[in-house]
Amino acid sequence: MPSTRRSESVAGLIGLGVLAVIALGIALFMPDQPEAPRYMGAGHDEPQRGGTFVFHHEGDVRGFDPHIAFDELSNMGIKLLYEGLIDYDRDTLDLVPRLAESLPEQLEDGLVYRFRLRDDIRFADHVVFCDDPEAATQPCDGREVTAEDVRWSLEHMLHPDTGSPGVTFFELIDGFEEFREGEASHVSGIRVLDPLTVEIRLQRADQTFLFAMAMTFAYPVAHEAYETYGEDVARHPVGTGAYVLEEWEPGVRVLFSRNPDYFLPGRPYPDRQIFTLNLGRIPAVMRFRNGEIDHIHRQTPADYRLLKSYEAWEPYRVEAPNTDIWGLGMNCEMEPFTDRHMRRAVAFALNTPRWRRARANRLLLTGQPIPATLPGYDPDLPGAHHFDLDVAREEMRLAGYPDGYPEPLTITMTDGETARFYGELVQQDLREIGITIEIRQVSFPIWLQQTGTRNTALMALQGWSMDYPDASNFLDILFHSRSIHDTDSENKAFYSNPEVDALLDEARVEQDRERRLSLYREASRIIVDDAPWGFTFSNLQMEMWQPYVRNYRPHAVWSNMFRDVWLDLPRRRVAWQQMPTRSVPALVPFGRPR
Amino acid sequence: MTELILKRVAAGLAIVFAATAFIFILANGIGDPAVATLGPNASPERRQEFRVEHGLTDPLPVQFGRYVGAAVQGDLGRSFRDNQPVTTVIANRLPRTVLLMGMAMSFQLLFGLALGILAALRRNTWFDTGFMGLAFLGISIPSFVSGPILLMVVAFRLGWFPIGGYGVTALDHVVHALLPALTMAIIGTATFARIMRSEMVDTLGEDYVRTAKAKGLHPARVVLSHAARNALLPIVTLLGLRLPFLVAGAIITEEVFNWPGMGRLVIESITSLDVPVIMGVVVITAVAVQIGNIFADVAVGLLDPRVRQARG
Repeated sequence: MPSTRRSESVAGLIGLGVLAVIALGIALFMPDQPEAPRYMGAGHDEPQRGGTFVFHHEGDVRGFDPHIAFDELSNMGIKLLYEGLIDYDRDTLDLVPRLAESLPEQLEDGLVYRFRLRDDIRFADHVVFCDDPEAATQPCDGREVTAEDVRWSLEHMLHPDTGSPGVTFFELIDGFEEFREGEASHVSGIRVLDPLTVEIRLQRADQTFLFAMAMTFAYPVAHEAYETYGEDVARHPVGTGAYVLEEWEPGVRVLFSRNPDYFLPGRPYPDRQIFTLNLGRIPAVMRFRNGEIDHIHRQTPADYRLLKSYEAWEPYRVEAPNTDIWGLGMNCEMEPFTDRHMRRAVAFALNTPRWRRARANRLLLTGQPIPATLPGYDPDLPGAHHFDLDVAREEMRLAGYPDGYPEPLTITMTDGETARFYGELVQQDLREIGITIEIRQVSFPIWLQQTGTRNTALMALQGWSMDYPDASNFLDILFHSRSIHDTDSENKAFYSNPEVDALLDEARVEQDRERRLSLYREASRIIVDDAPWGFTFSNLQMEMWQPYVRNYRPHAVWSNMFRDVWLDLPRRRVAWQQMPTRSVPALVPFGRPR
Repeated sequence: MTELILKRVAAGLAIVFAATAFIFILANGIGDPAVATLGPNASPERRQEFRVEHGLTDPLPVQFGRYVGAAVQGDLGRSFRDNQPVTTVIANRLPRTVLLMGMAMSFQLLFGLALGILAALRRNTWFDTGFMGLAFLGISIPSFVSGPILLMVVAFRLGWFPIGGYGVTALDHVVHALLPALTMAIIGTATFARIMRSEMVDTLGEDYVRTAKAKGLHPARVVLSHAARNALLPIVTLLGLRLPFLVAGAIITEEVFNWPGMGRLVIESITSLDVPVIMGVVVITAVAVQIGNIFADVAVGLLDPRVRQARG
C-alpha cells in the first residue's frame, strides 16, 4: 500500500511537470492578445447601404409579439420588426412621431389625444395577407396601416384573453373597465374618426399616457397574423418595421432581412442583421475582439477592466448609467423599521463607496429614488443617502438603540453569487452600527412572492428598471400608497405618506414640465428623508462596437437599438503589431502585465 | 438472459418513476410558475387564470397522476414559456446533445483505451508514470475550469477552433462540437486510461496471455485480442456508469461553450421555472441513462458468461 501511494505521488509530480512543460510551450508560441480593433472601416462619410450587422445576447429570445414581450431581449428584435405611432429621440428622451404624422393633438386639457397616421405605411409582405395563408408559399403584398388597425391592436392588447403584461399602463383609457369585464365589445375611449385618424379619451388627464403610447404594447399589429397564428404569432411577426424575420433557429440565432416596403426611403442601411442567441459574456467578448460580432454590451469584471485599458478602443465604447435604481428596502410596517430613525440609520450606514470599489467601479452612486438619466434627478438633493457613519450612529441613538439593535435582522435576497455578495456587504456595513444581519437566499419567484406580501420580508435588496423614461415610473410604483397590496405589492417597502401621495397625484396631471419636475424633486426629498429604502446606486453599462459600425450610440430608452446603424464596408484588417514571440512577457499566458 | 433483461427493465422503470416523482415534487415546490412566467407586472387575476389553465390549483398527487398518465402516452405537456410542446422543444435540442456526447464518448474511449494500453505495456517507465500522472490531474480538473481555459487559449488566442456556439451547417456543428467534446472527454479519458491500465497489467500477467505468447502469436495480436479484450469487461460496465456523468458534464460544458443543447435547456428552464420542460428533460434523461445502463449490463452478460450464471 505505501508503495502505491508513493508511486501515485511520484506520478502526480511528474504529471505536473509534463503539464508545466506543455503550458510553457503554449505560452512561448502563443500569439499576443490583440489590444486594438482587428478591423477598421473603409472610411466613407456618407451612410452606406449593404452588409450584415451581427449582435448578440446571452439569453434566449421568447418571441416577437410586441403585446406580450416585456424583456430587453425580445425588444431588441421587436424594435427591428415593428414601429410605433410615436417613439423616443435617441439622444434627448423627447417623444417624436414615427408612424404618426406628428405628435398627437391634446384636446380638452389633456383628456383627449388625437393621433393622425402617415399615409404611406404598409405592413411588410407576408403569407397572412394571401387569400389562403395556409396554402400560400410566397408572401403576398402587405396592406396599408389604418386608424382601424390602431384601434384593433389596442383592443387586442387590452383583451383579458391576450394576457398582456402592459395592460396596467392603459387603464386610464375611458371604457377600460367595461371592456376588461366583458361588458362592452369595444373600448369606448378609442374612436376612429377617419381612415387615418384615431382619438383616445382618458378618464382623467394624465401626462404619463403618451409614454404608454410609446411602449411596444401600443404598436399596431396586423389582425390577419393573429387570426392565422393565434398565440404562435410571436414566432411569425408581421410588422411595419425596418426588417422582416427571415429565419429563426431557436436558441441559436435569428436572421432579419431588410423590409423593402419600409416607410423611410433608403432605410435601413444593412441588408441583414443577425441576432446571435445564448452567447455568454466570455465567448462574446472573444468573438467581438476577433471581429466576428459587431457589438457587445455585457462583460465580466475581468474583461471589463481589460477592455477599458485598451486605448485604441476608446472611440468605440461608451459607459453610461442604466435607468434603474437599487437600494436596501425596509418594510415600514414591520418592527423595528416602523421607526423612521431606524431606517435612516441603516440608509446612512451603507458604505456604498466600498460597494463601488468591490464592483469594479461599475456603479453610479445616486442615493435617491430618481435615476441620474431622468429629468427630476437632482445631483445635490438635500438629504440624499451618502455613507456617513456619524449620521447613522446618531439615528441609532434617536431610535433608542445607541449600543446597537439587540436581535439579529433578516435580509431576503435572491439566489446567486451577486446577491450573496451584496448581502454580505450589507451585513458588514450594518455591523458597524451594531445591527446583526442574517442573510436568507431564495429563488427569484419566491423572492417576488415574499417581498410582495405584507409583514413577510423585513429587508430586501430592491431594484427597479424603467418601463418608460419618467420619474412617475419609479416614484408612483415604488412609493405611492396606491401601490401597496396585501400580496404582489409593488410598493415593497409598504411605505405610505399622504404628503408624497398628494405630490405624485398632482404631478401626474400637471402639464407644465418645469413645475411637474419640481413636484417630483420635492417628493424625492421627502422620500429620502423617510428612507423606506436605503438608496444606493444605478448600474453602469459599457457598450462597445466595431470601428466600421457607424451611427451607433446607446439609445436613451431602448437598450441595444440597432435600427439606424450603417456599416462602413469593406472593412480593413489591421495588422496587429506582434511582440517578438519569445519575449519574457509572452511567457505569461493570460494577458501581458501592463 | 431474458430474465436478467426483464429484471433490469423493471428496475429501470422503477428508478425512472422515482426520479420523476422526486423532481415533480421539487419542481412544483420551488416557487410560483405563474409569477415566473408572467413576470412581476402581471395582475393577480391573470396569474390565477394561468394557474387554473395549467391545472396548478389541483392537489399535487392529482397533478402528478395527470402528468404520468399523459407522459406514458408520449405527451409531456407544453412549455410555460413559449407554449411549444415539450416534445418539440426537446426534439430540437436532443440531437445536439447526442452529437456532443457521442463525440465526447468516442474521444474518451479512443484516447483513454489507447493510453491505458500503452501505459500498461510500458509499465513503470517515464511514459507510464508521466501519463498516469496527467490522468490523475485530468480527473481532478473540473470542466468548468478546463473549458474556459481551452476556450481562451486554443480557440481565442491560437484560433484553432471556433469560439463556442453551434454553427449553421451540419459540418459546422461537428467543427463547433470538437472543443466542447474534448473538454468533456478529459475526465473520461483519464478515468478510462487508469482503469484500462490496471486491467491490462492484470491480464498481461495471466496464464492465457503467456500461453498465447508462447504459441508465437504476433505481439500486437496478443495484446489486442487476448489481453485487451479481457481487460475491456470493466470498461463496458464503466461505460454505463459514466453516462450520468456525461449528462452532468454536458450541462456545464454546454453552458461554457454556448452549445444550445439539453444542458442549456435545463438551465434555461430552471431559471424561468418552466416546470413542464424541467420535467421533460429529467424524464428523457432518466430513461436514456437507464437504457444505457441496461445495454451495458446486457453487454457484460454477453461478454462474460460468469455474470450470466451468477445473476441468472
